[in-house]
Amino acid sequence: MLWVDKHRPKTLDKVIVHEQVAQNLKKFVAEQDCPHLLFYGPPGSGKKTLIMALIKQMFGAGVEKVKMENKTWKIDTGTRTFDLELAMLSSSHHVEMNPSDAGFQDRYVVQEVIKEMAKSRPIDAKGKRAFKVLVLNEVDKLSREAQHSLRRTMEKYSASCRLILCCNSSSKVTEAVRSRCLNVRVNAPTEDQIVQVLEFIGKKENLQLPFGFAARIAAQSNRNLRRAILFFETCKVQQYPFSANQVAPPLDWEQYVSEIATEILSEQSPKRLYSVRQKFYELLVNCIPPESILKKLLTELMKKLDSDLKHEVCHWAAHYEHKMRLGSKAIFHLEAFVAKFMSIYKEFLCAAFG
Amino acid sequence: MESTEAQYVEGCSLTPIVTEQLWVEKYAPHSFTELLSDEHTNREVLLWLKQWDSCVFGSHIRGTSDDTLSALRRHSCTIQKNSSSRSFFSKSRGAYVMGQDSMPQKTPGSNSEDLKSTFHKKPSVDNAPEQKVLLLCGPAGLGKTTLAHVAAKHCGYHVVEINASDDRSASSIEPKILDVVQMNSIMSDSKPKCLVIDEIDGALGDGKGAVEVILKMINADKNNDSDRSNGAEETQVQKASSRKSHRTAKLLRPVICICNDLYAPALRKLRQVAKVHIFVQPTISRVVNRLKYICKKEGFKTSSIALSALADYTECDIRSCLNTLQFLNKKREALNISGFDSQVIGRKDMSKSILDVWKQVLQKKKLKRAEMADCNVSGDKDIGSLFSLISNRGDYDVTMDGIHENFLKLSYHDPMLHKTVKCLDVLGVSDYLTQYVYRTQHMSLQAYQPPIAITISRIVAQVEKPNIEWPKALQRCRTMLLEKKDTLKTWQNRMSPLISRHLSVESFVGDIASPFLHILSPLNLRPVALNLMSEREKNELVQLVDTMVAYSVTYKKTKFEPQERANGSIVPMDIPSLSFDPPINDIISFKDYQSEHIGLSLAMKQVLVHEVEKQKIIKDSAGKLLNQINEGVRSEVPTTTCQKTATGTACDTSQGSSKGKSSTLPMQLHSASSLSGKGLAPAKRPSSRPTDFFQSFRKERPGGAKTHIDAGQQGATVQRDLRPLIFKYNEGYTNAVKRPIRVRDLLL
Repeated sequence: MLWVDKHRPKTLDKVIVHEQVAQNLKKFVAEQDCPHLLFYGPPGSGKKTLIMALIKQMFGAGVEKVKMENKTWKIDTGTRTFDLELAMLSSSHHVEMNPSDAGFQDRYVVQEVIKEMAKSRPIDAKGKRAFKVLVLNEVDKLSREAQHSLRRTMEKYSASCRLILCCNSSSKVTEAVRSRCLNVRVNAPTEDQIVQVLEFIGKKENLQLPFGFAARIAAQSNRNLRRAILFFETCKVQQYPFSANQVAPPLDWEQYVSEIATEILSEQSPKRLYSVRQKFYELLVNCIPPESILKKLLTELMKKLDSDLKHEVCHWAAHYEHKMRLGSKAIFHLEAFVAKFMSIYKEFLCAAFG
Repeated sequence: MESTEAQYVEGCSLTPIVTEQLWVEKYAPHSFTELLSDEHTNREVLLWLKQWDSCVFGSHIRGTSDDTLSALRRHSCTIQKNSSSRSFFSKSRGAYVMGQDSMPQKTPGSNSEDLKSTFHKKPSVDNAPEQKVLLLCGPAGLGKTTLAHVAAKHCGYHVVEINASDDRSASSIEPKILDVVQMNSIMSDSKPKCLVIDEIDGALGDGKGAVEVILKMINADKNNDSDRSNGAEETQVQKASSRKSHRTAKLLRPVICICNDLYAPALRKLRQVAKVHIFVQPTISRVVNRLKYICKKEGFKTSSIALSALADYTECDIRSCLNTLQFLNKKREALNISGFDSQVIGRKDMSKSILDVWKQVLQKKKLKRAEMADCNVSGDKDIGSLFSLISNRGDYDVTMDGIHENFLKLSYHDPMLHKTVKCLDVLGVSDYLTQYVYRTQHMSLQAYQPPIAITISRIVAQVEKPNIEWPKALQRCRTMLLEKKDTLKTWQNRMSPLISRHLSVESFVGDIASPFLHILSPLNLRPVALNLMSEREKNELVQLVDTMVAYSVTYKKTKFEPQERANGSIVPMDIPSLSFDPPINDIISFKDYQSEHIGLSLAMKQVLVHEVEKQKIIKDSAGKLLNQINEGVRSEVPTTTCQKTATGTACDTSQGSSKGKSSTLPMQLHSASSLSGKGLAPAKRPSSRPTDFFQSFRKERPGGAKTHIDAGQQGATVQRDLRPLIFKYNEGYTNAVKRPIRVRDLLL
């Protein structure tokens, strides 16, 4: 097993990074009840880990006996009926699913599937926990309609069911849903916290960490705990004992984006733009989300940019990212940003050097 | 009273019909020389028809002597004015000479020779041309149908036309075509028929009727060429067969198909077997000359400038020109150049192919000198025509994709990339608009798409011809993205849910993929046997195998691994290399990018595959083992008897050559005895094992079973046998089953 999974804290007591959050969550467990929860935070910050730990704390070891199933639901919309297949992970106490997998049919998932499950009250011999937990991932990718239908469900079946929503950005969750949940912000861990985690893992694995090594990996990880641990393991696999200035190999797609950035900076012409387009296609084909491409590209460009231009370029990056989210063909907007950047950069060069 | 009134009314309504024949029909060309369409095409069509002569007319064909040729040439001068001379053509079979007469002057030799050679050949062979169907295609109103009719008549055929107005389901059309193509008319003049199927691309319904029937006949034809055992069901050939042993071919008469769109899907198959002629617009001067002639005849006053403008406007659609002129004549109006738009001439509601749309958008029209003066007016007109072009096409999504794909390749002057930025911005707006329309279903907003394309056209269009490519990249990107996501999803489903719940596609691709690959291929792992490894190495290997099992990753054989190629080491093609089973290394393979990731050596991979397999079996068997032992003890007695009978029957099969070996290999003997009976049954399952090994293994058994087994031993072996032995034979592991051991003993 990878260290990321191996050393994942299983209970709230063992959580290192978000101790304060874990403490608060523990209080819910103690009170034997909790409101609906909305976890939000950047990727690799530990949302999922916290949720799992919370559920385990609530129901005990029973939740670890999970099974994966692809269920087919018959949806009757009145005008037509169709089958909807959805993968879900369930134990006797909780169900995890990713409703946005259903694409534009996510509305029916919320209206039919979730309602169906929320209705049925779990039979518990002790009657201690009179509710079951539904974990919905990637709520921010749900369509507006689906989110609207979610709020009624949240109110109506709150007696028998608790929803735990998980997303990257709470801004894409509608106000109505947000106000019905207790929002739990899960920050990206600070570099110090990451160092702490890495040292903890090092101790568990019986490794000698040279001074400053953990800090370097933490800096490289961009405050993403998952990345940090993976980098750490990579280093271990590649060379152990660690050398003083060892760094983990960079992520391949990020490397590729930085190559694109150098290409853009070296020549600004429609022809170059065309070759950049092909590279964008390569990235998109490999499932890299266009938002991350744009973000990474911006940071790479920023490194080599005159400070006068930085503000303007950032402005345009934001502008085109906004457009990109509105539209559906990401390549148009990525390219538009590159063209805009080329234009700005070239004008600047001409003004500076005549 | 009433009757007279009715008569009067009838008379009134009758008269205009009589007087007003449509000009289109009135002045339709009646002879070959009057045709307006492109000379070259005309000749080709005629030549093709002539090639049928030997097949259709048989021995009637003979070479034409020079004096008849010259006589005909003389005649052809008068024919243009005198349409009555047409009767001459229908009467005389010698009409085909006209074809030779109007042959291109440049290459008289080749064509006429070709023809003559076909003439001189005896009609014993099927002399029908190579391609039995002629496909004429081109836009409306250029005279395709007219050409087909005239040329066929010219060659002495009786034209039978099937067009869209006829019933054309496959069932009803088949007898019709067969009638035409294979029967001979019993009428007095007994001219052979020529089938003209008009508008074959349109109104075909679901059956594609006509095309299918024709294809069937052509295919039957080809089959006949190989074996001539086809029943003489056609009466048509009587003439021919009486003459010589003329074979019965299915398609014995020329068939001319006419269509507007050559690339209509219904025509796909026909296109491959037919001789295709694409109609091009006749020159404007030719059209104008004819129009002038007609106007003069009808006494309608026009100027040649107006006529040429009209021809230009209708894209040389003669039918439309004539209809317009007749209409104006009737209204006693003059043809007015400036008022075309407001005037009666209808623009054809034609949707061009999408490639044409892209071409129009990205190519600037050359301005003629006359139009240079009023640049504004022509600019407006351009926009108008572009707008209608794009909106007629309708498919904005693809249109924009195509523009996006192609506009960067144009050589527009753009030093500061302002134009490019503008174009991409506008394309972005279009994308947003499409998305909005889909979401809200406000389809009326789509009307704002053409102006977006026009904007781009105004910015980047160049005079030189663009090299248009179909926008494959975006489509490819979409499908491949889905494919990859699917692979990852299925991979996730194979993992234990405890792990896969934390592994979304995004996080895997974004964060995990690269380090994961590095972790899976540690640099310092040596491909040596387990017992030669140091303690630390063993630990590392165990960890690695554990990881691979947990994430259900393994290696599988592939023919060719590009990674090793790129590194320079030559991989022999016959030795298969191993690559990751869920192809996770694809995720980080980008074009023109050399990853730092270095794969393991082949030997190491093999070791890993083996170990992973082992681990999986251990995991699977761990749960089962306990139950099996219990069951085995309980059912000991009945199975002994079973085993005895099994060994007994097995003895008979082979006894002779076992002795020598049994003494040398006592270990094998032991194993053989333990495996006898039940053990053999599961062992038979794997199919890929070499037969010689197991044959020797089988021969050992009877001797051992007979001599060495006493009762106590038997009991022990039976108990052992009860545990099902499942093993997989691996090439290179010859010591797989030489000793009686349990699989779990092997594994631990």
